[in-house]
Amino acid sequence: MIEFIKVKKVYPNDVVALNNINVKINKGEFVFLVGQSGSGKSTFLKLILKEEDPTEGTIFVNGYEVSAMKRRDIPYLRRSIGVVFQDFRLLPDKTVYENVAFAMRITEALPKEIRRQVPMALGLVGLSRKANVFPNQLSGGEQQRVAVARAIVNNPSILIADEPTGNLDPETSWEIMKLLVDINNRGTTVVVATHEKSIVDSLKKRVICLDRGTIIRDQQKGTYENEGTHNKIYI
Amino acid sequence: MKVRTIKYIFNEGVKNVYKNRLMSLASISTITASLIIFGIFYLIIANINHNIMKLKEQPEMQVFCNPELDDMGVKLVQNALIRNSNIAEVTMVTKEEAFEKIKEMLDEDADLLEGLDSSFLPVSFIIKLKDIANSGEVVKELKKINGVDKVTYPQKTMEIISKFTNWIHVISIVLTAILLIISVFIISNTIKLTVFARRKEISIMKYIGATNWFIRWPFIVEGILIGFIGAAVSFVISGFFYNRIENRFTQELIQAGTDIITLLKFNEINLPMLVMFMFLGCTVGAFGSIISIRRYLKV
Repeated sequence: MIEFIKVKKVYPNDVVALNNINVKINKGEFVFLVGQSGSGKSTFLKLILKEEDPTEGTIFVNGYEVSAMKRRDIPYLRRSIGVVFQDFRLLPDKTVYENVAFAMRITEALPKEIRRQVPMALGLVGLSRKANVFPNQLSGGEQQRVAVARAIVNNPSILIADEPTGNLDPETSWEIMKLLVDINNRGTTVVVATHEKSIVDSLKKRVICLDRGTIIRDQQKGTYENEGTHNKIYI
Repeated sequence: MKVRTIKYIFNEGVKNVYKNRLMSLASISTITASLIIFGIFYLIIANINHNIMKLKEQPEMQVFCNPELDDMGVKLVQNALIRNSNIAEVTMVTKEEAFEKIKEMLDEDADLLEGLDSSFLPVSFIIKLKDIANSGEVVKELKKINGVDKVTYPQKTMEIISKFTNWIHVISIVLTAILLIISVFIISNTIKLTVFARRKEISIMKYIGATNWFIRWPFIVEGILIGFIGAAVSFVISGFFYNRIENRFTQELIQAGTDIITLLKFNEINLPMLVMFMFLGCTVGAFGSIISIRRYLKV
């Protein structure tokens, strides 16, 4: 589903963001991507979306060889991946319904399909009643739910979330994470970059830990920190 | 592309023009100004060409005999002219007729001719050619005839006018090109404002898998619409003023009693002009938007 083979990413200013990354994420997995700021989490996600190209190595996503694909094929790759950001990135002059429908409209979906799928996605995130409200009338948690609905409305096989709870209070963070777990339970592969220690620890999902551009730990049913190395990481 | 997508693209483009109405207005004005200047040159050239064509349709030449030539000699010249296969019609102007013509031309000053008679004037022949294309050749032949003094023909005038027209052509193309390039930049700035205001939306669209063309088209529609409106406005303005000028000019010519120069009626040239205005306006608009969005599409 997602596979990195000997991937290296060096930015033009000579910063090595990722080095020798070999990892495979299978269909239907739920993966937490953890690590300090600057450890390479965002670069990892950007490579999946082909927002950046690897300096070396090969990347496969949903059967596409991302590292070698043509620029004009990128939109079709991205349609098979739902994305949720820390800052929600909703369109302020469109209603909740329109924001979600927009993701379908750009794929030239049938109006009939849009009318069927959008309420379903909004129902899944529990916002059916707020369909005609504008984003700035919603709380942070609700806005992130809209973003999640938009990310899943096209039935992507992968959902990527880059610190989706970074701007939310602990309680709301939990709700969003549970929503992501729900989506994962329906068969979607979910990759979440996060700093939420308590959530990672209690959900017991696969944890990939990055440090200065390399994977220092890849654990099934892992925790945010490696037991015993607690002090090492937070010096 | 599907019909609903085209509808979406068109709606967005129109909305953008309205949202940025001040800048849109500025762009429309520049395009209008450029096209009006283009139109002025176009109309001048069209009229010059029209008059040249008219001159060419009157392939008249006048062959003057030597003033001292006797009747016999004149007869020989006349015969030579009639025998020439390129000539369709020969009309003789006798010395007396020429004298009368001069008198008429001098009008009140006719007393200048007192004491003179028609003998100092040459006999001449007005000839019509079968085909104007051979005029150069015919002139050469005619000059060789014994007793022929001079051959006048409108070719020279036409050549001078043609040369003059060529210059106007060059100047108009250069000037119009400069103005259109300026228009492209002003339009691209207008569109850049729209693009800038919507950069967040564009980046979101890129993330959720919109193709570049899907993002680009509404802006192109915006540019084309600006160009289209500019073309329409400049066409109406040019047409209005041209009609007034043409009416005035024609009236004055009628009063002066001459039809050497005539102006084209606007409805004789409005179609090619409209097509050209629309083509230039829309192309400039589309081009302006394409160059302004390029930068924002690299996500």
